[in-house]
Amino acid sequence: MLVIDQLSVSYGAIKAVREVSLRVEKGEIVALLGPNGAGKTSLISAIIGLVPASGGRVVLDGVDITRRRTEDIVRLGATVTPEGRHIFADLSVGQNLRLGAATRRDRDGIAADTERMLAMFPILRERFASRAQTLSGGEQQQLAIARSMMSRPKLLMLDEPSLGLAPKLVEQIFGLITELRTQGLTLLVVEQNAYDALAMADRAYIMNSGRLQFSGRSEELLASDDLMELYLGTGTGVHAGAAS
Amino acid sequence: MTALLSQLGLGRQSLFGSLMLAALVVLIGLIVMAVAEKAQIRVANVFFVNLILVFGLQITMGNSNVANLGHITFTGVAAYVVGILVLPLAIKATGIPNAPFGLAEVLIHFVPAAMIAVVFSTALAFITGLVLTRQTGIAYTIATLALLVIVHTVLTNWVDLTRGPIAMYGIPIRANTVSLMLIAGACAIVARLFRDSRWGLQLRASGEDVLGAEASGVSVRTLRLVAWTLSGFVLSIGGVMYAYMVGTINPKSFYFDAVFLTLAMLILGGMRSVSGAVVGAVIVTLGTELMRWLEGAPVIFGGKMPQIFGLTGFFLGVVIVLFMALRPDGLVGDEELDEMARRLWRERRTKGAKEQAQESET
Amino acid sequence: MDYVIQQVLNAASIGGEYALLALGLAIVFSVMGLVNFAHGELITISGFTMYAIFIFAAPTSAWGLLPVGIIAAIAAAVVFERVAFRPVRNAPATTGLLTAFGLSIVVKNFFVSVVGATRPRAVPTPDWLSSHIEIGAVHIQTLQLLEAAVTAVALMALLALLRGTNIGLAMRAAAKDFNTVRLMGIRANQVVLAAFVISGLLAGLAAVFIMARRGAVDPFMGFTPVLKAFVAAVLGGFGSLGGAVVGGLALGAAEVLFQIILPESIAGYRDAFVFLFVGGVLILRPQGLFGRKHQFGDKEG
Ligand SMILES: Nc1ncnc2c1ncn2[C@@H]1O[C@H](COP(=O)(O)OP(=O)(O)OP(=O)(O)O)[C@@H](O)[C@H]1O
Ligand SMILES: [Mg+2]
Repeated sequence: MLVIDQLSVSYGAIKAVREVSLRVEKGEIVALLGPNGAGKTSLISAIIGLVPASGGRVVLDGVDITRRRTEDIVRLGATVTPEGRHIFADLSVGQNLRLGAATRRDRDGIAADTERMLAMFPILRERFASRAQTLSGGEQQQLAIARSMMSRPKLLMLDEPSLGLAPKLVEQIFGLITELRTQGLTLLVVEQNAYDALAMADRAYIMNSGRLQFSGRSEELLASDDLMELYLGTGTGVHAGAAS
Repeated sequence: MTALLSQLGLGRQSLFGSLMLAALVVLIGLIVMAVAEKAQIRVANVFFVNLILVFGLQITMGNSNVANLGHITFTGVAAYVVGILVLPLAIKATGIPNAPFGLAEVLIHFVPAAMIAVVFSTALAFITGLVLTRQTGIAYTIATLALLVIVHTVLTNWVDLTRGPIAMYGIPIRANTVSLMLIAGACAIVARLFRDSRWGLQLRASGEDVLGAEASGVSVRTLRLVAWTLSGFVLSIGGVMYAYMVGTINPKSFYFDAVFLTLAMLILGGMRSVSGAVVGAVIVTLGTELMRWLEGAPVIFGGKMPQIFGLTGFFLGVVIVLFMALRPDGLVGDEELDEMARRLWRERRTKGAKEQAQESET
Repeated sequence: MDYVIQQVLNAASIGGEYALLALGLAIVFSVMGLVNFAHGELITISGFTMYAIFIFAAPTSAWGLLPVGIIAAIAAAVVFERVAFRPVRNAPATTGLLTAFGLSIVVKNFFVSVVGATRPRAVPTPDWLSSHIEIGAVHIQTLQLLEAAVTAVALMALLALLRGTNIGLAMRAAAKDFNTVRLMGIRANQVVLAAFVISGLLAGLAAVFIMARRGAVDPFMGFTPVLKAFVAAVLGGFGSLGGAVVGGLALGAAEVLFQIILPESIAGYRDAFVFLFVGGVLILRPQGLFGRKHQFGDKEG
């Protein structure tokens, strides 16, 4: 579904992503892990076209999307739920969802999907007419995911969906991600929360300083304390999670 | 002297660079005086006045990186003040017999008159700066524009004092190419030293990010007030020299055409450096003369500010648009010419040294 | 009493004109951070297009000139965006501002060169625009009434657009976070285009009224109204749509007020007084009446 070949991203002199290659197959959940500043957000932004790639290729379903505009890539069926949510604060919850479906023309389908999202996130129904700004952080994250789903993506890339959420909500969000997959969605999930992410992902990639350091099956990583230690280090929250 | 310089955060390079720049300005004047005919001398004189104005503009706009469209205000005020003070009494009796404050009877020697005009106009800059520098971004730009309009309105409507929209003529001509080039050179030094000073540096570092710089403990507002006032000072000098060069002033000389001409010069050369101001002024002056020649208009403006109308104005506008799209930093960019020369020199030397080292290795 | 009504209508019609223009400035600024100094040239282009049609097509009634003026302004706004502003879309605000300033000079001098003179040229507008109607003892100019009414309708329509359509919602969202709007698959070019079309439409409406009042075109006709609109927008809080409207109306009111209270001898200074008054307001509230304090930093992130 998604093939990334030798992708690089630079901001001026800073090389944020260095020749990273990875692939995500249809129906998979793939975790992208790594410490702060590893280049995960940059990688995702380059895939979706928000920052230009300085080298390499991105292919989505056989189509080379490396130099395409963000809006065209989204129309091809990939989307990102950005880090830090980026909900439209001045618009209502309903209007946020509506913009999520902006590329679609099927009124009935949109209505049905809205209903589906509201069923999945009851809080959004409750606050449907409120300004999105007034939602709590966790509620905003739910809105951001629901909004992404409104475009009926084939490939959803979630950038740190658990950021700043209480453990219970994290669990809920991860449960949701697993459920989305059963509906046929392909997911690339960026996470700091390595244990939980690995628990739901089929495969994982680990980045550090812009480079890919590891790729393999989640179980393989989880099973090996050495690997976990080596790539994800101590005190990254991984071990805090392990201790509890 | 050295102590004062280091207090301002100025090193030898700045001093050297500013002197080089002043020397360049004077050199242009000397070349013109050596080879030019009378009409060309007039073009050169206008060039030097414009250059002074571009230096003035560079001090605010180049360092704070926010567009200033009202700078010509202080040029106009200074020109009118000096004009009123030195106008021969006979001309006053017919031109502005009802001038307020008994100014119709006042006649002052041209040097103290120039000083009074500069002090007055600079004080006005300081006072308006107190208000203006409270604004940021677009509000600031609009405020500079509003200032221009306010003062223009006053100059055109205060008929008793300024003759209103009618030109005030008969100001004794006191400026020549020598004095103009020397003063332009001095202004180059002022602008360059300010750019390199601690204040200029902090101001440029703040860029448009007023909040960030405020947070880092620098009062950007104070810095901008200093820049604004100093800029007003240089622009006032330009106004005085203008009045002394042409002998005839009217409010239109200090309105949009002048704003736009000097702005085009600064943008073309690159507003972040003082060298850019010189380069831009030279090129735009040559370009407009060329256009004028192509349009077939004889050079008849007799030392007045050239009117930028029609094709010439059209192409200057195109130049601004193209530069903004393709080369927003202007021809010179961020570095002063001497800094650039030094860097290139150094790079060549280190490259040479490296190659030597490599050779000796093999 | 009629005097009061008359003056209120005066203020509303002048203020409405400023509001239309200020709103166009604010929409473009909020969506793409561009300070459009060439906005006044939309009025000029609209005026000269009406003039050209009048000269070359010699229409039998002046009616047809009105839509021509409006369409010309919209087309000009779209061309401006495509040709001049798109290359600097992601550049710092000052770059965009100076581009617009350069563009405005280009257009002015184009008309100076092509038309050949700076002298105003007469263009007719329908007679009824300059007629009067009597309501009771009050003598009202049709133009003023129409201006106030059209402004109100345009504002309402704009509000509906911004609240109820995808493109309107996208424009509001883009004002804060353009990239996320693009993540919705909404085309950035379309959002920007919509902003320019709206600003062109509003400028076109204003241009028609300005033409009806002046009855003539010249290359510099757009300057003063748009300068006022800028001041109005700053007064309201630059980039705030509500602020643009309130600022425009407040400026119109201030002008009429100064017109009334200033003695004859210093009436020429009216604009200076108005600007000083606005300056005073801004000393007390540097962010304008409706502006939020740090709105300039907001978009940077
Ligand atoms: N717009 C930018 N301009 C300059 N440098 C940037 C920019 N965005 C990111 N960087 C730099 O690129 C590197 C990678 O950043 P990125 O945001 O991709 O990391 P990340 O893996 O997503 O980190 P985190 O887990 O903290 O979100 C960092 O060093 C960062 O400072
Ligand atoms: Mg990140």
